[in-house]
Amino acid sequence: MIEAHEEKDVAIEQRFEPKAKDIDDEISWAQINVDVLRSLERPRPLYWIIFFASLALFMWGGYCEVYQYNTGLGVADLDNPQVWGLYIATFIFWIGMSHSGTLLSAILLIMHADWRKPIYRFAEAMTTFSLMTAGLFVLVHLGRVWQFYYVVAYPSERWAWPNFSSPLVWDATAIGSYLTTSVIFLFFGMIPDLAICRDNATGFRRTFYRVLSMGWRGTDRQWSNFRVTYLTLACLLIPLAVSVHSIVATDFAVSQQPGWHTTSFPPYFVAGALYSGCAAIITLFIVLRYTFRFEHYMTIPILEKLCKLTFAISMVWTYLNLIEYAAVWYGTDPVAKQTLIFRATGTYAGWWWAMNILGSVVPFTLTWKRLRTNIPIMLVVSLLLNLGMWIERFMIVTPTFAHGYYPWTWTQGWWPNWVQVGIILGSFGWFNMLFMLFCKIFPSVSMYEVKEMVYHRREARKSLSSMRPSTDP
Amino acid sequence: MSLDNLSSNWSKLRTRRPQPDQYQEAPYKWAMVIDLDACTGCNACTTACYAENNLPVVGKERFSKGQAMHWLRIERYWGEGTESTQEFPEQGAQFLPMMCQQCEAAPCEIVCPVGATHHTPDGLNSQVYNRCIGSRYCSANCPYKVRYFNWFNYPESAWPSPLELQLNPDVTVRSKGVMEKCTFCVQRLTEAKSRARTEKRLVKDGEVLTACAQACPTSAIHFGNLADSSSAVAKMWKAQQVELSADKQKKDEEREKDEALGKTDEALRGYRILEDLRTYPSVVYLERIRSSEA
Amino acid sequence: MKKKSYILALFADFHEATKTLAALRESSIPGFRMRDVTLKSPIDHPECAEELGSRPVYIQIFSLLGAVLGSSLIFLGISSAQANFLRQPRGFFPIVPIPPNMVITYELFILGSVFFTITACLIMWRIHRVKTNLYDVQISLDKIGILVEAEPQAIARLREIFTLHHALEISESD
Repeated sequence: MIEAHEEKDVAIEQRFEPKAKDIDDEISWAQINVDVLRSLERPRPLYWIIFFASLALFMWGGYCEVYQYNTGLGVADLDNPQVWGLYIATFIFWIGMSHSGTLLSAILLIMHADWRKPIYRFAEAMTTFSLMTAGLFVLVHLGRVWQFYYVVAYPSERWAWPNFSSPLVWDATAIGSYLTTSVIFLFFGMIPDLAICRDNATGFRRTFYRVLSMGWRGTDRQWSNFRVTYLTLACLLIPLAVSVHSIVATDFAVSQQPGWHTTSFPPYFVAGALYSGCAAIITLFIVLRYTFRFEHYMTIPILEKLCKLTFAISMVWTYLNLIEYAAVWYGTDPVAKQTLIFRATGTYAGWWWAMNILGSVVPFTLTWKRLRTNIPIMLVVSLLLNLGMWIERFMIVTPTFAHGYYPWTWTQGWWPNWVQVGIILGSFGWFNMLFMLFCKIFPSVSMYEVKEMVYHRREARKSLSSMRPSTDP
Repeated sequence: MSLDNLSSNWSKLRTRRPQPDQYQEAPYKWAMVIDLDACTGCNACTTACYAENNLPVVGKERFSKGQAMHWLRIERYWGEGTESTQEFPEQGAQFLPMMCQQCEAAPCEIVCPVGATHHTPDGLNSQVYNRCIGSRYCSANCPYKVRYFNWFNYPESAWPSPLELQLNPDVTVRSKGVMEKCTFCVQRLTEAKSRARTEKRLVKDGEVLTACAQACPTSAIHFGNLADSSSAVAKMWKAQQVELSADKQKKDEEREKDEALGKTDEALRGYRILEDLRTYPSVVYLERIRSSEA
Repeated sequence: MKKKSYILALFADFHEATKTLAALRESSIPGFRMRDVTLKSPIDHPECAEELGSRPVYIQIFSLLGAVLGSSLIFLGISSAQANFLRQPRGFFPIVPIPPNMVITYELFILGSVFFTITACLIMWRIHRVKTNLYDVQISLDKIGILVEAEPQAIARLREIFTLHHALEISESD
């Protein structure tokens, strides 16, 4: 009788598949160092090809900008009332993409979600470089770029300071603060890793890392201060990130133009930002995993968690999107309703429907495990989601100009031209260049955090197995 | 940075505009009345504005792309969805001269990042060309879209020699990248005020006119000082029962009740455009009452 | 000030290191204090570091100070600039509007706190730095080190304790 019972237990155990682990906790710490430092070695030819392609794209964008700077913004086919065009839309897109790094580094840190540990470093780098790219657009879209410093409150003999009631000045302050804090956060979190690089480097690189690692020796005092500082920075960074994109949203929300004057814009923009950022993280995850052979660290279970997070955010975005339509549809402003109908049926209708399908329907592929774990499909899906989010920014800016309050100003057929598209492609080239440089100079996986993750999981598993009743008779 | 000043003047610094009777004690508040019944759409006002304010003629191609620089534009409207059966289909348009409404609560003033636009003590919305960095937020926020951006560097191409001799020396010639708009011919106003000041008096009604008011052959555009209750413009505003600092006029509330009863008062035909956006514009338009065939 | 020497011992894992620290604390070797013992590790391990005694961290006071200073200075700065510089009346807003000023105050509240936090951390590291170059690159790899600053006569006794707890490498310096 007892034997039959044991057979049944064995059969149950054989049917039971252990859940895929986020990371194999048997990886030794030494192996982590070796694997990640290997990514900093001399790059292969493919790296240089992609780098120079990005540089070429950036230079094309630079040429377009120089032409525009010298001749005037009219070469971008901007007119009255279409005064903003793609520059503002892409500016918002880049700021939006920067939020995911904060989400992963700071928000998941506070929630003690340790699956973020192998992936937050490159996400945080993405944040910093997105902000730098967004800063380019602030300059590109100005009529008199050479006087951009008027927006900064510097000691002026004319006793004229910027207009603090303008959302663009709030933008300048918020984005400046966010960029500074992001760089500080990224750099500070890298200090123990830079110490590892210092200990393994030679020549001028050793000096470079020695200077950057701020005398890190791994002492307990350094660690305790580090831990408190890092946590405090994360707690400060989260409200800052939320406020940055809310302020960018107020660029539109404080205006009384139809289609913009909605109080749901700040949360809508923040949700869109988190959404596009998460999609970008999935893209970069897949690229880095393949390029640097980080399969043991950027594992499929972590990708799955990322996909689930992206799906949740996509549903939040969808809700806020639909709520905006509902508020306008059942509201009292007939012109805003007309603008909404114009979006759905007018010149830009194709783009509007594309945005809604890419933003609300495509994320459902993230709910199927078979699709979620398929790397090529996830690469395509993440790029489509980001495309949808870029279109969303375009659909916020342009249709309201095309269909405002004043009938005489309604325009039907405005489209951007090659100058605008060229500058936008140049911005992607710029971002790519910065990111590739980062991946080769700094470790794109956080070594000490992965060591912590592996250590804690191993300890937890060992203590759990020591608690299990012994099967010895 | 005197904090004493900040604390002692706190209430004055916190007052919003517009206030009712804001211009009670002020010497000047410039305003206009435009009679749409008298306007024939001849564009003399637009041409005068071009001449007076050094506006560049952008050419046919750029005009059709929407990059025109006309501070004062004549808009043409034909009833919605009506088909014209006349020999010339464009006949029967209603004309509306539209320029910067010099709003008391201008949406453009609060959003300029560098403070290139604000309100002057005599009630005009000012544009400071040398402070403007060309972010175009003011134009984005303007509900009337009466702000015009210099998309190209017109000084180098719009006035080939000897046309530069026609330029008005009292008005800046704007380079690329700055925003401009109707200023109610502020150069004329400044000159008139300064002349009046040397004679120790205020500017008399009719002494100074904007270029458009001066050029109009049917006297459709009336310009004057709203703070002077004896001026023609002030009398017209009062007759039309339009108050500067009200976003919904009392007569409109009563009109809704009257129209329900079947009564209309054709004499009360003054209105301000997009008044419910609470911009408090300084231009009253008198509704057209003649029929379209005329 | 008696002349001090330094001894660094490397251990394979945190269990050994914790036991060693407990042993050091219970031992009564003259010539060193628990305060001069430093734990060096590739990852943060608060439970092990607890054995060293109470070493409080004062960073967050600076965060608070930075937040208060940053926000109040910028609010007063902006408001007085709006009141005293070229006064620019604008439609619908007063000369000193509170909501826009609060937006900028909020940003600088966070930025001020960030700057003060980072500065405080760097200062704390500088204050508490160990004045020796004795370091092993294996600490950034996977070993845990215990560094003790003690008088020369205590070094031998310390070496005994370390060997007893399976220290992998021991190095000394002056």
